Amino acid sequence: MAISQDAHTVKQFDVLLANLRNLVLEMGGLVEEQIKHAIQALDDEDLIAAREVISRDQIINGLQVKADEDCVSIIALRQPLGSDLRLIMSLSKIVTDLERIGDEAEKIARMTVKTYDGVSSPPSAKLLRDVVPMARLAQDMLHGCLDALARLDVEKAVEVAQGDDELDQEFQSALRRLITYMMEDPRTIGQAINVIFIVKALERIGDHSKNIAEYIIYLVKGKDVRHVSMDVLVQDALEE
Amino acid sequence: MSTTAIETKVALDQALNLDTAPRKQSSVEVTDYNNRQTVGNITVDNPKMVCRGVNVYYGEKHAIKNVGLDIGANEVIAFIGPSGCGKSTFLRCLNRMNDTIPICRVTGQIRLDSDDIYDKSIDVVQLRARVGMVFQKPNPFPKSIYENVAYGPRIHGMVNDKAELDDLVRASLERAGLIKEVDKRMGEPGTSLSGGQQQRLCIARAIAVNPEVILMDEPCSALDPIATAKIEELIDELRENYTIIIVTHSMQQAARVSQRTAYFHLGDLIEVGDTDQIFTNPKHKLTEDYITGRFG
Amino acid sequence: MNKPTPAAGAPAPLNRDIKTIVNAGLKRRHAAERHFRWYGLIAISLGLAFVVLMFANIIGKGYPAFWQTYIQVPIQFDAAVLDPDGKRDPQTLANADYAALVRAGMRQLFPNAQGRLELRALYGLVSSDAAHELHRRVLQTPALIGAEQELWLLASANVDTLVKGNIDRALDESERPIKDNQIEWVNKLQAAGKIEKQFNAILFSNGDSREPEQAGIRGALMGSFYTLLVTFLLSFPIGAATAVYLEEFAPKNRWTDLIEVNINNLAAVPSIVFGLLGLAVFINFFGLPRSAPLVGGLVLSLMTLPVIIIAGRAALTSVPPSIREAALGMGASKLQMVGHHVLPLAMPGMLTGSIIGMARALGESAPLLMIGMVAFIVDVPKSFMDPSTVLPVQIYLWSDLPERAFVERTSAAIMVLLAFMILMNGLAILLRKRFERRW
Repeated sequence: MAISQDAHTVKQFDVLLANLRNLVLEMGGLVEEQIKHAIQALDDEDLIAAREVISRDQIINGLQVKADEDCVSIIALRQPLGSDLRLIMSLSKIVTDLERIGDEAEKIARMTVKTYDGVSSPPSAKLLRDVVPMARLAQDMLHGCLDALARLDVEKAVEVAQGDDELDQEFQSALRRLITYMMEDPRTIGQAINVIFIVKALERIGDHSKNIAEYIIYLVKGKDVRHVSMDVLVQDALEE
Repeated sequence: MSTTAIETKVALDQALNLDTAPRKQSSVEVTDYNNRQTVGNITVDNPKMVCRGVNVYYGEKHAIKNVGLDIGANEVIAFIGPSGCGKSTFLRCLNRMNDTIPICRVTGQIRLDSDDIYDKSIDVVQLRARVGMVFQKPNPFPKSIYENVAYGPRIHGMVNDKAELDDLVRASLERAGLIKEVDKRMGEPGTSLSGGQQQRLCIARAIAVNPEVILMDEPCSALDPIATAKIEELIDELRENYTIIIVTHSMQQAARVSQRTAYFHLGDLIEVGDTDQIFTNPKHKLTEDYITGRFG
Repeated sequence: MNKPTPAAGAPAPLNRDIKTIVNAGLKRRHAAERHFRWYGLIAISLGLAFVVLMFANIIGKGYPAFWQTYIQVPIQFDAAVLDPDGKRDPQTLANADYAALVRAGMRQLFPNAQGRLELRALYGLVSSDAAHELHRRVLQTPALIGAEQELWLLASANVDTLVKGNIDRALDESERPIKDNQIEWVNKLQAAGKIEKQFNAILFSNGDSREPEQAGIRGALMGSFYTLLVTFLLSFPIGAATAVYLEEFAPKNRWTDLIEVNINNLAAVPSIVFGLLGLAVFINFFGLPRSAPLVGGLVLSLMTLPVIIIAGRAALTSVPPSIREAALGMGASKLQMVGHHVLPLAMPGMLTGSIIGMARALGESAPLLMIGMVAFIVDVPKSFMDPSTVLPVQIYLWSDLPERAFVERTSAAIMVLLAFMILMNGLAILLRKRFERRW
């Protein structure tokens, strides 16, 4: 059953649900910003910006707690059923994944601080060449699923889920390249490991985005598409 | 095997053969308000009652429109829907309580096991002994607690002597979870009990004749939450021996006690399905709107 | 659903404050309420005043009837007069001249009385029943024969009225029913303590009589009893069965509607019409005896039936449908449902209705006049076929008689009738209170 757009008989319920969704979308926007700033700081070797990203993670954590509280209170006071219940459950899970994505952004910022701390020599550009394209992919995925959430767009969510494979492949090839560099020149190992953490964080962002996309499919279609093959997911999600 | 054990096993099976496990039947979704065809599977593997093409008319009013539904043996099925949707009317067809209303006419087929209950060869007295009923308002007879429970066995001539009757009355009260509360006061009037106790007395009275099916018409609507919880627990226990059909206004109650749920709307059976599916992922827009409180 | 809601439907704001508006009309509203209460109080007081007046009048008039004047007379049970053969033959004893004994006793009291007229006046002081009284005593204790006893004999109605102060002694002798010499004797007797008032048992033990001091209501009471017994035995089972059939079993169609309307109309038919019907059908057509309680009971049954049916149906409808459903749901047949549950619950209401109907029948006189229960009947009826009268008719008969002593008896009979009415209504209330609403 597609999620109903009609108003509830109890209007206050509509207000509560809308507020919660807006809160989650606001949190998503903030997380997006965090990734953007973290990558920017890495690219610009801007330690101040990186530290700002780290400190801003607290805001996201605060939003997560607030969103969870709202979910619990709506369940307790309104006993949502049907699409309302799926909305609450999905949003509550999406919030968790968003918070993790925020953590990954914080991790990238920490790696930036560590990489450019002035103690060790900065990494060569070739070590970092995979970061920006992977970051773009991850950002696209996150943006896509926030978009899908805002418009309850299943097709968009499917697109996001499908994008995860590409990001995974990128991660594998980035890993292979970094291993090659490390074997060529063991002095780069220290920096390369930092870079591995960064690309791993980007890969995790993709995974979390895919989770969010799956929750959106569950929210709209009522079908649980976690832990199934991509073919089944696509078939289930797009079936009328 | 207990219910939870079965659920665990199913969950395990599904975890092990992720994609190959049989998926829940995914029927077509209905977003059109005017489509009144029943959504979901109306049949069950082990039916106790089978209804096909049931129509009920109150004079000119078409109260139940071509309803087909199986009631599984030893299941609790809940009928939900807005007021006047026909759920109580349909329930009352199942033991022919509608016969008492002169202008009411029922067509179609309703079978209990293999007997057509509207067939001439079936006596309504026999049918009502097999299909018991519990009503919205607790309605014990204005007699003693003992007499209330003993009434059914007496009129049907189920017992030979007083000792046998005593045993039956005690056993029924025990099964209704009331024996501890009334053991010392069997002679007191049934109306002296509290509302919840009265309703359990009515259930004891109904099960005293050992029916196969028990119909419950909003049995908790006049009770407080504690009494309601006791009745719900009782329903869960009774499921082992009886098939129970419950009409309720409380969706939470339907969700708590039933395995299957049927949603009625203006005389149509809109949707029927497993209770968890109906309450998390209904297929028909009317069902969705009703359970999420968007109705009208 | 999504319409803009804020205050769109709210009424336009008032210029004045709601408090002032309400206060302005408040005085008038309270005054209206106060006035209404006063009117009600006045109406009730007026009604109560009339009831009190009626009771005071009846009791005031009827109370003396429960006391009766007796004169102490020395009686010589002369064996020569009573039983000349000495055989104690009941036949001889029955035919003996007891009145002679009374006359002798009176002469003994006032030996100075001379002449036929004066003696007649003297003998007129005691009731003619005195001779019967002596007869009864002799039959009871034959040993009395030959003995002498001072006996309290029933005074005549005129003496009774005089003693109760209801005859104006100042009137001219020709204008009062009692002669001067009689008054003198009575005064003497009173002075000698030979006149006293005793409880009037005769009122409850005798049938009607032309002599006020001998007239009682027992005949009327027994007549009423037999009549009401017939009425109850006929109308309650028939009425209850009709109510049950109409309410529980009969199909609802034009015919049952017609029957219902007719039953309701019958309840409003003037009772004398039932009397005419009884006369035409039971007496003229079926040839049943006139003045019999059986016929009276039949006629009153016709009159009471609609009341009982209507009350019965009301009682049946008031049994909650949940009880019927419970019984049917258990698999009880319709008759079992009615017999086991509905009827026991409706019974107090039905009985109450019946008792009220019976009370109405007890007070009814008009239809009984038509079937001849208005005759002057001295004997107390012993069966349903004996000619008899009933209490209200007895009252009607007595109220017509000129003697002063009958006036107080009329009121006394009314008091007895009212007592029975109150008793029956009390019983109805008791039944209702006791069995009401057990569900």
